[in-house]
Amino acid sequence: MTAMAGPAATGIDGARFDPSRTEGRGLADTLRSFKVAVLLGWKLEANWTDPFLFFIYSVAKPLSSALILVVMLEVIGGPAGKAFRPFVIVGSALWAFVLNGVAGLAWSVLEDRERYRVLKYVYVSPADFLTVLVGRGVARIGVGLAGVVITLMVGVIALGVPFDIGRVDWPMLVAVSALGLASIIGLGLLMAGVCIQTRQESWSYPEAFAGALFLVTGAVFPLVVLPAPVQIVGLLTPLTWWIAGTRQALFPGGPGSVGGPGSAFASTFGHPDPSAGEIVLALLVTGTVVTLAAVAVFRLSDRRAKRTGLYDRTTGS
Amino acid sequence: MPALAIEVRGVRRVYSSKKAPIVALDGIDLEVPTGEFFGLLGPNGAGKTTLIKILTTLLSPSSGTASVFGFDVEKDTKKIRRIMNMVAGGEQSGYGILSVREQLWMFTQFYGLAGAEGWRRVDELIEAVGLAEQRLQRVSTLSTGQRQKMNLARGLLNDPWILFLDEPTLGLDVAAARSLRELIVEWRAAVPGRTILLTTHYMAEADELCERIAIVDHGRILAIGSPDELKRRVQRESIFRIELDRLEGGAQALGRLPGVVSATAAAGNEADTDRQSVVMNLVLEDDGALGRVVGDLADRGSHILGLRKSEPTLEDVFVELVGRGFDEAGTDEPGPSAEAIA
Repeated sequence: MTAMAGPAATGIDGARFDPSRTEGRGLADTLRSFKVAVLLGWKLEANWTDPFLFFIYSVAKPLSSALILVVMLEVIGGPAGKAFRPFVIVGSALWAFVLNGVAGLAWSVLEDRERYRVLKYVYVSPADFLTVLVGRGVARIGVGLAGVVITLMVGVIALGVPFDIGRVDWPMLVAVSALGLASIIGLGLLMAGVCIQTRQESWSYPEAFAGALFLVTGAVFPLVVLPAPVQIVGLLTPLTWWIAGTRQALFPGGPGSVGGPGSAFASTFGHPDPSAGEIVLALLVTGTVVTLAAVAVFRLSDRRAKRTGLYDRTTGS
Repeated sequence: MPALAIEVRGVRRVYSSKKAPIVALDGIDLEVPTGEFFGLLGPNGAGKTTLIKILTTLLSPSSGTASVFGFDVEKDTKKIRRIMNMVAGGEQSGYGILSVREQLWMFTQFYGLAGAEGWRRVDELIEAVGLAEQRLQRVSTLSTGQRQKMNLARGLLNDPWILFLDEPTLGLDVAAARSLRELIVEWRAAVPGRTILLTTHYMAEADELCERIAIVDHGRILAIGSPDELKRRVQRESIFRIELDRLEGGAQALGRLPGVVSATAAAGNEADTDRQSVVMNLVLEDDGALGRVVGDLADRGSHILGLRKSEPTLEDVFVELVGRGFDEAGTDEPGPSAEAIA
């Protein structure tokens, strides 16, 4: 049945209904959406309770994880374990970024849909949804930064981790940090794409994914202790190179997580340990592949969610 | 500006489910002119919300085409999103830890308003919807009615050409619902050309607000027209209840007048011996016959104490079209196990 058109509207203010309003301002709009998403993410994460509880949540958790690992290392490794303290402290500290970035970004989708019920309103706004999510992820990483810095400081000041600021390879630190954090956002987008397709019971998926990465990326033990196929998986993961690069930049000459005699890296590339250049290159390549794949998966997930009506489908709806 | 705000052609939407596919929209055709207050009226599960989701680019149709101000909902999503907005009822949406002001400002940024302009717009709308006292309050502390007013303000942030309202007064108490309806009417009246598509299953709300209404059930439009046109579908005669101080010649005398279909004493009238008046039900061929009745009564020396036209309701229209009432008609929206069949 086709409805008959009703009476035509008269006296319409042409300026108010200016057709140019349907056109966006491109990059300016994208930047504005990104900035406000970062601000929103920060407010939601940092403003939800008083500073003391915020400290407990974002600092004490990673710090206590690092301390547990250090104690375990001392008990198992004895005096030899002290040489591995920087290794454990760096890997453990950096994991706060991974949890906040990978899991946090996916949780943004679930929280906005299930808890705040605003996902559909954000989605039907002109803001690019992917940009908004990336902004939220950056905010989460910012929250994680406090935990990283304090864990490293405690490692140096209280646990005697030998740190010489004059020996830090700053260019490498900047390069691997930028590429590594971009890769974390990429992995977060991947999980967000997965969580768009699921419902409330998927809160644990991102954490489980981050936990699996914890095992294969050399965060707290060298890859060489893992079976060769698992080492290969680790070598294909950008986080492995990010952690290895950060260790090498902060503590040059310290134990590495990627190579070593008998490692998959050594047998593949013919030398025991990767150079700084190789680490940055490997991080660039794996990070780019993962990020592009994540964007593609996210776009596919977005299309499927729109096709199947998942953006406002909450648990029990 | 296009003459049509909404144009829907053969839109079909099917959800898969474990039992059997659910047809939410079954080939809808619809045109809504620019500037109209249009309503979709139907029970739960009729397909109203599904149509709004498609028009607001939240959901893809399984087949058919739909456009908003000439922009295709599948191809021109960004353009549509800049000139429309939506507000849904029956939900507690909002970032609870943000203040009302912060919450609204966030959305101004998603709509591309400059920072200062965004704050100005937020403050204007907070004032307009009557939340000035709550502007710095956290969203989580707002009452249901206040939260819905905030959501309405959010829906108006981008000064939309068209506003989609999906059961906006659902779950509100009578006063809050009335207040919200008044705000909606005021907003639309302020600028000619603003279009509203309202879905509701409250008949009185649709009757009060909408210029035209489509009655929807099981994914189909059963009837469309102004509330008066729809009511006339079920009542072709005019029915009046008239109270007189006395009536010479009885009801039969009135029943013989031209244009009068029937004239009967109202139920219980004869038994009420204390009554000092006579109450009659008059069924007339049309309103024009009323003049003749009034003239005849004056000639007989009767004085009219009261006169009320008996109107059919939109529920009567629905019952006439569907063969059952709203309460019997409702089915749930597709549940968690239901997914779309593209």
